[in-house]
Amino acid sequence: MSEPGDALRSPRPRRPLFQKYFLVLFAAVVVPLLVNGASEAWFGYRDQQTSLGQRLHVEAVSAGGKIRGFLEDITDQLQWTVQLPWVSGSEDQHRLDVLRLMRQVPAIVEITLVDGDDIERLHVSRVDPDVINSGIDRRADPAVQDARTAHVWYGPATFYQGSEPHMQIAVAGTRKANGVTIAVINLKLIWDVVSAIHVGRSGDAFVLDKAGRLVAHPDISLVLRGADDPAAGRLKSLLQAMTAGGGEFTAGRNAEDASVIAAMATIPGPNWAAFVEEPQAEAFAPIRASLWRTGFLLLAGALFAAGLGFLLARRMTGPIRVLERGAAQIGAGNFDHKIEISTGDELQRLAQRFNEMAAGLAESRERSERIARLKQFLSPQVAEIVEGSDREALLDSHRTEVVVLFCDLRGFTSFAGAAEPDAVMGLLQEYYEALGVIITRYEATLTCFMADGLMLLLNAPVPCPDPAERGLRMALDMQASVQGMIAGWRARGHAIGFGVGLAKGPATVGRIGYEGRSDYTAIGNVVNLAARMCAAAEDGQVLIDAVAAAEIGDAFGLISLGTRTLRGFSEPVPVFSVAPQEDSAAPADLLLVAKPVLGD
Amino acid sequence: MTFHRRTFIAAAAAFALPAKLAFAQLDKVYRVGLVFAGAPDTGILGPGMVSNFTKRGYVVGQNIVFERRAAQGKVDRLPELVDELVAAHVDVIITSGYPTALAAKQRAGETPVVVTNSGDPVATHLVESLAHPGGNITGVSEVATELSAKRLALLKEAVPSVHSVAVLWNADDLGMTLRYQAAETEAKRAGMLIVPLGVHAPDDFDTAFAEMTKTPPDAIMMVTDSLTILNRKRVMQYADEHRLPAIYEFASLVHDGGLMAYGPDIGEIYDRAAGLAGRILRGAKPGDLPLELPTRFQFAINLKTAKAIDLKIPESIILQADDVIE
Repeated sequence: MSEPGDALRSPRPRRPLFQKYFLVLFAAVVVPLLVNGASEAWFGYRDQQTSLGQRLHVEAVSAGGKIRGFLEDITDQLQWTVQLPWVSGSEDQHRLDVLRLMRQVPAIVEITLVDGDDIERLHVSRVDPDVINSGIDRRADPAVQDARTAHVWYGPATFYQGSEPHMQIAVAGTRKANGVTIAVINLKLIWDVVSAIHVGRSGDAFVLDKAGRLVAHPDISLVLRGADDPAAGRLKSLLQAMTAGGGEFTAGRNAEDASVIAAMATIPGPNWAAFVEEPQAEAFAPIRASLWRTGFLLLAGALFAAGLGFLLARRMTGPIRVLERGAAQIGAGNFDHKIEISTGDELQRLAQRFNEMAAGLAESRERSERIARLKQFLSPQVAEIVEGSDREALLDSHRTEVVVLFCDLRGFTSFAGAAEPDAVMGLLQEYYEALGVIITRYEATLTCFMADGLMLLLNAPVPCPDPAERGLRMALDMQASVQGMIAGWRARGHAIGFGVGLAKGPATVGRIGYEGRSDYTAIGNVVNLAARMCAAAEDGQVLIDAVAAAEIGDAFGLISLGTRTLRGFSEPVPVFSVAPQEDSAAPADLLLVAKPVLGD
Repeated sequence: MTFHRRTFIAAAAAFALPAKLAFAQLDKVYRVGLVFAGAPDTGILGPGMVSNFTKRGYVVGQNIVFERRAAQGKVDRLPELVDELVAAHVDVIITSGYPTALAAKQRAGETPVVVTNSGDPVATHLVESLAHPGGNITGVSEVATELSAKRLALLKEAVPSVHSVAVLWNADDLGMTLRYQAAETEAKRAGMLIVPLGVHAPDDFDTAFAEMTKTPPDAIMMVTDSLTILNRKRVMQYADEHRLPAIYEFASLVHDGGLMAYGPDIGEIYDRAAGLAGRILRGAKPGDLPLELPTRFQFAINLKTAKAIDLKIPESIILQADDVIE
C-alpha cells in the first residue's frame, strides 16, 4: 500500500472511502437480489404448498374413488338379488342367484334376503350352514329400514373379535315386494385396492370409518390390531386435524409414527375418509429444493456483488490513493513527483492540476530562493528588478562606472576589546539597523561588511541617475544617523566616531563566490581609493574623490581639502568634503585608528 | 432430458427397492424352520410354502434356508423336532396343526412362531386374542370350527338322504376335537346323527372302519389334520368300497380322490403365513402381528368319485363348487 518514501503517511481513515464505496455497490446489487429472492422464495413456497395441496387432494379423491368403486361394484352385484319379487317357492331360485353372486364377489361373507314384508327368507353364508325361511322379522333392522328409503345402506364397520373388519351393505329393490338384500362384506379385501394406491415415491393410502377407526391400510396388521392400538390413535388424530383444519392437507404422524403430509377425501355412502399420506420429507422435497435453489442463487449473487463492489471500489479509490500519495510527496517538497493517473475522467484531470500546481510551486520556490540570494547584497527593490530582469543578466561581470562608498566606526576595536560581548553586539545591531534603512532607501548595493565596516556600490548592478550625488546624500544621511547614536554612546563613555569615504570611477563588477554562497562585488582602483578616503576621514567627515566631486558640482557646497597622500597611491590625491554644518570637535587621535583595507 | 429422466428413475428405483425388499441385506441368510406332524414334502413342507418366499424376492440357498422337520404322524416327536429347529438357530418357525403349534409354543422359547392349520388359536389358548396375540406367536387362524357345520350342511345338500354321519378326527388334537364338537352341535340342530370315530394313531383307523362296517353310516366326514391326511387313502378307499359319500376339509384331498371338500384356501393360508414370517424376518415382533383369518374358501367336488359311487350331485352343489373334477 504505502511506499517507503511516503514520509507523510497519515493514519487510516475511520471510515475509508473504499469501505463506503464497497458497501454501497454491494448493497446496490444485493438488496434487490435479496428482495427478489425472498419474494420468489415466499411465492414459490406458497405455490408449491398450493400445488402440493392440490396434488394430494387429487390423490385423495382418486383413492376415495377407487374405494368407492370397490363398494359400488358390490352394491351393483347385490342389486341383482332384488330384481324379482318374492313369491312362495322362489327361495331356491333366489338361493341360486345368491350362490352365483357369492362366487363372483369373494368379499361377501354372507347374504341375507328379506322379503317385501321384512321377513327373513334366505341366509347364505360361507361359514355357516345356509338357512331358508327362518321367518325372522327384520322390520326393526336399520339395514332394512334405511335401505328401503335410500335404496343402498352402508352399515358401520364392525370388527370380528375386535380384529377382522366387516361391514353390512343393504340394497332394496325398486318395489317393496322385491325385498331387501343385506350382505356382510369382509373389508380385508379392500387391501387389494388400497395397497395398489401409491402416492408420490413412497406415499400410500388408507381408509378410516366415520368413527376414525382404520378400515383399510396397505399394512393389514394395522387394521387387525384394533382401535386400542397407538397407530390407530395417531390416524384418528390425523382425521381430527383434517376435519378441524379444513385445509387441503395436514401434517401429522402416520401409523408408523413417521411425519407425513396427509390429504383426505370423503367416501360418500359409508361416509368413510380416504386418506393419502406422503412422507413430509418427500412431500416438501420440491419446496426444499426450490428454497435451496433460491439460497444458492442469493449466495452466488452476493459473491458476485462482493466481487463487483470490490473491483469498482478499488477502481474508484485507487486513483484517489495515488493522488493522496502524490499530494503528500508534493507537500514534502518533492515537486518533481508526477502523479500518474490515466482513468480518462475527472480524477485524471485532478491529477493534471496537481502536477501543474507542483510545477508552479517549484518555479515559485526557485524564484524566491533567487530573490533571497540577491537580497544578500541588493536592496529588496533592486533585487526585485534584477530578478524580474532577463535572467540576472545585470549581474554578469562587466566594466562600468561605479560610485563606491566605504564607512566605518572609529575607536570600535578598542571598545570591542574592553566592552562586554552583549554591549558590542547590541551596539553593532543598532548601528546596522540604522544604516540598513538608509542603504535600502538609496537602493545601494552592499558588497560586503566586516565588523563595523561597510562597502556599498551605486550604479551597479542597476544604473541610477547621478550616482555620485546619490552616494553623497546617502553618506550624509548615514553620518547624521550614526552621529545621533554616537552622542548616546559617548554619553555612556564609549569614545566612538564614524567616517565615510566616497569615490567614483570605472570598476569591474560581477558575482564572485561558489554555489550557494556568492557575493556581488566591484574590483578596481576606485574601490581602493574609496577605502583610503574612508580611512582618512575624520569622525563625522565624508571624504570625496575628485571624480565624484566633479560630478556633484556645487550642489552641496563641496570644499577641497587639498591633497592627501594615501597608502597605495604614489601621487597625492585631491580630497573633497562637505562643508561642515556645525563645528564638530572630533578628537584628532580618533582618526589614527588602524583600518583594514577593504577591496584589496 | 432423457438422460436425466433415466437417472432420476434409476435413483427413484434405487430408493424404492429397499422399501419393497427391506430384507435386502444379502449377506444375511435367514433360516426358516418348517415343522409338520405329517409326511415329508406334504402340507407346509411341500413346494407351496417355499414358492411363497421366492415370490417375495428370497432366493433359496442365497438369503434363505429352510429347515424341514416332519413327525410322520408321530405327534410325540414334535417337541423334539422343535428343539432341533431351535438348535439350528432358525429365525422363525412355521408350524402346521395344533399339536405342532402347541409344541412350538412350549419349546421354541425366544424363536418366533407362525402357526397355520391349528384350528381356532384363540379357542385353544395358543394366543390371547386375534388382534394382540402376545408372546412369540402369530399366524393364520381358521374359521375351521364353524366350518364343520357348513360341511355337514353341504353333505346334506349333496346327498339329502344322509342322516347319520361318521366323523373321523384326531382325538388327540384339541383343534380337531373342537371341530368335531361343532359338527355334533349342528347335527343336533339339523336333526342328524353323528357317529364319533375319534382316532389317536394310524392303527385306530382299522377300529374306526370296523365300527362303520358294524353300524354303517350314511356318510363320512373326515376332520383333516396330519394324522388323518396320512391315512386319507385308506379312508377314501373305505368310502369308495362302501359307496359312502364323504366330505373333507381341503381341496387337495378331492384331487386325491375324495368326493367333496370345503375349507379355507390352503394356498392363501400359506401365503399369509409366509407374509407374516417375512415381516418377522424384517424385525417385527410376532406378538404385535395380529392373527389373520382366511378370506377365501374353496369348495371342491370330484364328479369321478361321485360317479364311482353312483351319486347324482344336485345342480346347486355344482354351482357352489370352485373346483370341479370331472
